[in-house]
Amino acid sequence: MHVTEEEMIVEFYGESDKPAAVERHLAGCPECAQAFAELKSDLADVSRLEAPARDARYGERVWAAIAPALPVYAKQERRWGAGGWWAGGFLTNPWLRGIGYAAACALLVSCAFYAGRIWEQKTQQPMAKVEPKASQAKQPIVVVVLDDHLDRSERFLVQLKHADMDSAQMASPLRDEARSLLAANRVCRKNLVKTSDPELATALDHLDSLLAEAANEPGGLNAGSIAKLQDEMNADALLFEVRVLRTRITDHARSGDNPAKGGTI
Amino acid sequence: MFPGRKSPLTAPTALVSNDRMDRNDHAAIQAVLAGDKDAYGALVVRHSHTLFRVAYRITGNEADAEDAVQEAFLRGYRKLEGFESRANFGTWIYRIAVHCALDKVKRRKSGETGRVAETNDPEQDQVQVADEAAGPERLLLSGEIGSLQMDALHSLTATERTAFVLRHMEDCTTVEIGAALGIEPNAAKQAVFRAVQKMRRRLAPLRMATRCM
Repeated sequence: MHVTEEEMIVEFYGESDKPAAVERHLAGCPECAQAFAELKSDLADVSRLEAPARDARYGERVWAAIAPALPVYAKQERRWGAGGWWAGGFLTNPWLRGIGYAAACALLVSCAFYAGRIWEQKTQQPMAKVEPKASQAKQPIVVVVLDDHLDRSERFLVQLKHADMDSAQMASPLRDEARSLLAANRVCRKNLVKTSDPELATALDHLDSLLAEAANEPGGLNAGSIAKLQDEMNADALLFEVRVLRTRITDHARSGDNPAKGGTI
Repeated sequence: MFPGRKSPLTAPTALVSNDRMDRNDHAAIQAVLAGDKDAYGALVVRHSHTLFRVAYRITGNEADAEDAVQEAFLRGYRKLEGFESRANFGTWIYRIAVHCALDKVKRRKSGETGRVAETNDPEQDQVQVADEAAGPERLLLSGEIGSLQMDALHSLTATERTAFVLRHMEDCTTVEIGAALGIEPNAAKQAVFRAVQKMRRRLAPLRMATRCM
């Protein structure tokens, strides 16, 4: 019975359950010994991908980049602690905290749903008065999940950040994505500005302005307009802002097992 | 032991337990949770190089690696209350960074579906080397080796690539890989097998070329 490739791989990495038996077999079986030698040679050829060196201040730069986005733990404690004994329990008890996040998510979803309903009624009633066509198909209702929206926005911004300015092929998909995101972003803004989250509202405002420019650039996107958009994006630290919000919202949604709803189109 | 084989259960540099570092890390975490946000800066400075190294090896891209490092520290900060005092912060944040880097690769892969057809082209598997074993040709071959290795790594799925990087380059054990990827050790082992098999298949032309020289 020969040694299988899997056993050889395990043996190579030193995790074999029965190394003595494998080594004994390899010593007495030229065929397996040859196969094992080839495996060792192949894996020895795969060099360790060396990361480009970062200078000694790299860690400080990482800290400088993320520090503004981090809340202070004690401030949260004081804020909650001032409310009474239940607030202290909320802070220290993970179950209560989980329930709190779930309740917050549920409240957000309810607000978004309610806002979406009102928005639908407001937009559909005048249309019905002007042109009451019975055959007119109902507008499809698309639920925009804030988490997904921020995720898509982040991907868009990363694409924009790394966009090859000489490539006309990238410009069209970028503009199409900007148009699609713009519509979703406006719904999110409309519904979420009402919530007490100024950070989110500001980020969505910045995003709206950038998306509007990307979507409506006369004559489509070109090297000049992409560079301008990249400058604006960098000036507002928009990618980072979106990333921070997405991380926060994802964490909250996971805690409450409920995605944050942004609104309806 | 066979010559050239890695020693069993070698811990990766990032996972090496260092008592003094542990104590410093735990002191910093306590300070952060007591309201000293800047104490987290010390943790960031201490661990960012290690995180960048593993993120770069997984993503193969400096920009993505830097993003993954920032995201890992952000996630880490937000989850700091859930960090167990008995755990090693270096190991914990390292796992978060692996997840962030893996997410980057998955997202990039999902946007690169068109490229798969190109990389499956058998013509591309051929290494173009000159017949004469002169210096410039050898240099050319070493360039080809690097690029072929990168192609081979890119041909793996995100999980296979991460498992291979953690096993082959970071010296993680199967159990550690499973913990870092959030999968069972056996699944981690299978991911390493598949990765090694695919890498060997992709690098077979290289073996042929070096033998001919």
